[in-house]
Amino acid sequence: MEFLTLDVILNSLGEVGSTVLYIFVGTVILEVVVYFLWRPLEVFSRLIGRMLSPLGNAIRHVISTLLLVGVLVFTVASVSVGVEQPPPPWAPYWPLAVVAFLVGAFVSPTAPKIFHWQMRLPYMLFAPALVGLLVLVIYPLLWELNVSFTNLNPRHFKSPDFVGLQNYIEVFTAPVLKQVTFFPVFLRTILWTVINIAFHVTGGMALALLLNRKLRLKGLYRTLLVFPWAIPQPVACLAWRGEFHFEYGFVNIMLQRLGLPAVQWMTSPTWNFAAMCITNIWLGIPFMMVILLGGLQSIAGEYYEAAEIDGASGWQQFWNVTIPLLQPILTPAIILGTVWTFTNFNVPFFINQNELETSDTLVTALFRSAFQYFNLGDAAAFAFVNFGILLVFAILYIRATGGLKGATE
Amino acid sequence: MKRSILTLVALATLIATILAGCCPSPATPEPTEPAAPEPVEIVLWTKEGEADGGLQFVQALADAYTAENPDVTFEIINKDVETLREDFLTAGLAGSMPDLLWTVNDHAGPFTDAELIMPVDDMFDLSKYVGSALAAAELGGQTWGVPISNGNHLMLIYNKDLVETPPANTDELIAMGQELTTGDQYGLVFNQTEPFWLVPWLGGFEGSVFAEDGKTPTLDTAAMVDTLQFLYDIKHTTPIIPAESDYDGADTLFKEGKAAMIINGDWSLGGYKEAMGDKLGVARIPMVSATEEWPRPYTSGVYFMLPEGLEGAKLEAVKGFVEFVTNEENQVKMISELNRLPALESALDAPIIAEDPILKGSADQMVVGTPMPTVSEMRCNWDGMKPEMQAVLADTKSPEDAAAAMQAAAEACITDLE
Amino acid sequence: MTATVSPQRHKPSAWERFFKSGREDSPFKRIVIHAVLIACCIIAVYPVLRVFSVSIRPGDRLLSTSLAIIPEDATFEAYRTVLIEKEFPVWLWNSIAITTSTAIVGVILASSSAYAFSRWRFPGRRPSLVFLLSTQMLPAPMMMVPIYILALKLGLTQTYRGLVIAYSITSVPFSIWILKGYYDTIPHELEEAALIDGVSRLSAFWRIILPLSTPALAIVFLFSFMTAWNDYLLARVMIASERSLWTWVLGVRDFQSQFQTQWGLFSAASILVSIPVMALFLYSSKWLISGLTLGSVKG
Repeated sequence: MEFLTLDVILNSLGEVGSTVLYIFVGTVILEVVVYFLWRPLEVFSRLIGRMLSPLGNAIRHVISTLLLVGVLVFTVASVSVGVEQPPPPWAPYWPLAVVAFLVGAFVSPTAPKIFHWQMRLPYMLFAPALVGLLVLVIYPLLWELNVSFTNLNPRHFKSPDFVGLQNYIEVFTAPVLKQVTFFPVFLRTILWTVINIAFHVTGGMALALLLNRKLRLKGLYRTLLVFPWAIPQPVACLAWRGEFHFEYGFVNIMLQRLGLPAVQWMTSPTWNFAAMCITNIWLGIPFMMVILLGGLQSIAGEYYEAAEIDGASGWQQFWNVTIPLLQPILTPAIILGTVWTFTNFNVPFFINQNELETSDTLVTALFRSAFQYFNLGDAAAFAFVNFGILLVFAILYIRATGGLKGATE
Repeated sequence: MKRSILTLVALATLIATILAGCCPSPATPEPTEPAAPEPVEIVLWTKEGEADGGLQFVQALADAYTAENPDVTFEIINKDVETLREDFLTAGLAGSMPDLLWTVNDHAGPFTDAELIMPVDDMFDLSKYVGSALAAAELGGQTWGVPISNGNHLMLIYNKDLVETPPANTDELIAMGQELTTGDQYGLVFNQTEPFWLVPWLGGFEGSVFAEDGKTPTLDTAAMVDTLQFLYDIKHTTPIIPAESDYDGADTLFKEGKAAMIINGDWSLGGYKEAMGDKLGVARIPMVSATEEWPRPYTSGVYFMLPEGLEGAKLEAVKGFVEFVTNEENQVKMISELNRLPALESALDAPIIAEDPILKGSADQMVVGTPMPTVSEMRCNWDGMKPEMQAVLADTKSPEDAAAAMQAAAEACITDLE
Repeated sequence: MTATVSPQRHKPSAWERFFKSGREDSPFKRIVIHAVLIACCIIAVYPVLRVFSVSIRPGDRLLSTSLAIIPEDATFEAYRTVLIEKEFPVWLWNSIAITTSTAIVGVILASSSAYAFSRWRFPGRRPSLVFLLSTQMLPAPMMMVPIYILALKLGLTQTYRGLVIAYSITSVPFSIWILKGYYDTIPHELEEAALIDGVSRLSAFWRIILPLSTPALAIVFLFSFMTAWNDYLLARVMIASERSLWTWVLGVRDFQSQFQTQWGLFSAASILVSIPVMALFLYSSKWLISGLTLGSVKG
């Protein structure tokens, strides 16, 4: 305890408190600025609109798109990657890019719609988060994009060369690790995701339904059931790896007591995959349960009563009342759950310490083949392919379930 | 409820802001010796952790040095081996590297590829160090690290309660092992998942992972097939090892007295000494009867590496610290505290080595070892060997197929390095 | 929502009866429910208990053939060492400070943004929502290198500030989606009524919507907290070189050497860090209930 003195505590409280305050104040200032900028911007954009209207909407869209795309390309190409690489020759022209951006923005016919007086509130509210995301997400994204077109690795470290689409082609054609190529790993990752999500959602829903009533010790149950989420993931993975241990693990000991043969969880391909799934299911159900429980509790009892009066069975009530009303919460939960399971690194990595190629998902294969050799060019291309797959999935899912609408629309 | 939470939060942030104003923040490290001529802070990244006493040893050395040279202070950050490699390369990309590295020899490969460290031939008198230690840090004719300890090698460690005299060759090993392997107990255990435990046997069968040039993999050889066959045999044909065993499994079995012999490295000696006291015995891994050659475990060690761009006062301080750590007194201290063999040639004569049977056994094994290759291509070899070795042990591949697959994988990986 | 079934009351099957939350559950049903929940709790807790038994087992023995939760030679030595001799309390404190501020900032940022998404159809709304989702789709280890470079340029490394900002932003996309979902279930009529009464939009948000969404806000707080509490990658990138700032995740790695791990200390630390999380869950559970007020206003 000698390390945790009052000094240390007060210091860190001060640091942290001032950070929160700065962020809060910054947010407020940003929002105020946006708020008061809106009227003048609206006037300005209407003016431009009237001046340019003889050009016709189509031409204005085209000009605006060209300019904005140009600015995008400029930005992407300016993010330099190598330590010893000189900044690109077009970098000093960035003021030109800013002007092009402004022109492109205001020429577009949608500008007046954006800068409409009524729209000032939503943009104002979203502005702080947007700024944060742009800085923390866009810059790394652009950096990664640039790297994916180079051959950055320890042998081409300080001044990597531009290699175009070579990395992307290699993602699909070259063996990811020693033998396995892209598509088998991809299919396995899909299988992994589907199995996990299926169990997560059904298990979480079942538990949420059970808990959604007056029940003694409900608080205790909820607290205990949430243990898998509360325990840090690496520790949980380590614990489960211990349980799957051939000699000492609980699972094999129990199997043997029941008269069944012990399973080689760590060396057999199928059983290792099963072990991964079991662990991740155990880890993921509490999270779903909490989300769904919150959603269930926001559904008024009257809906159920009305349905029962209409003669609906329990099953029909579930499908016609519960699910639709849970939709706005269920959709993001499922999409994000899928994305997180797909990109889950901890579980496949720690349960598969023997590095069985047959147990790798896309992300662990990526990590092993790229990061361990610091082959950043390949890794970046791989990451973007991953990204593309997930993006397509998300868009399709949203379209299919109409998930962007609210429950009362 | 809402209102009270809000008031609480507002109050807390108010107090916090006031405190932030009054108290100095701990987050900005400043040089702590303003009065001395050239105050220098060395940021040292070390791979030593606390579990085997390594980190404490480094810290003690740093404190001792600061006591003698008050204008040099140290910030010691420990990272595990993989993290250290990744973080150093990342820091290199960002242009902000630490001042000194205390790490393993095979990091020299990627770090020299990326041109992030300096050769040390001109900065230190390297002749006072053990030849094999220097060899393990040599690349392209230059030396890239100053050795601190030598060894890191595997050896045969046995429980004197169960094994009176250790086996001298593999035939004896198998015979003894079979006697000792009952339902509850195993004759021999080792980490069956890492190829680090395969290479000694490969040496015993007169094979090696690289050709003469040190860069071309030679995994598809008769020696490798023999090695894999041997491993297969001690698990399936004449079983003396468990069906599945990783590092922790083997370690636990040995500590609990359920394994008569274990093949493990010099880093584990401290823990075993504590757990087993006098019952601990150390010997060479038994000679391969078929070839009458001693198995040749990899020796490497721990090294100082100097990031490039070091100059001026920092460089001087770093050089001074390196000399300090590898002087005779501290080398002898290291032997007794960490059970590691020294890199300084003169320290090998220290009486403590001759007197301690454990250290003597360890030194005995080391002389038949071979320096671990440090080129980047070595990692391709490790990655190629690992799944194949496990496949053979799991009886899903024949040794011939496995050796061929290893070679193919390593070659594919090496082309990728470009 | 009218179900077209026969006027006769449908006889529910056993399965349906089990899951439907009726007002009067028979005692038998209650017992079954309790039994199922208890079984699930055991499954949920058992691996954690095994971690606990490693922590009270002397000699860093990770594995053991005995299934006993409390070994014969149990000792709390590991806890004593971790709490007193190591810097663990500092790491724990750092984590608490950083994570709580992250959660607060996260709630602030997400609640306002989600409201914008829920109540207005502004241009760029759809793409923005998809953008938020897509931020989750890039594997985290990949982003660490550029984030480090960026943080270095902005001077945010080795400080609390950088880490808190990074953590809050990371948890914002999910929080916005979930909060938007909750806001969507609150009918517009509430705010319309308030607007007619002359209350400003923002005021309606502050006084009506926020209080009604306390369960959602609690979930967002919990989620932001958990994201930051267990995180290793961002912490490693941002503050790894400043020992005094280490979170518990970075500190616990001290207990591992290249081949050995001090399993006793490691598991003791793991158990200790789960305690604040459990406390938080317990405390927040009462907030997760208050959605019941919605029912009185709907319909």
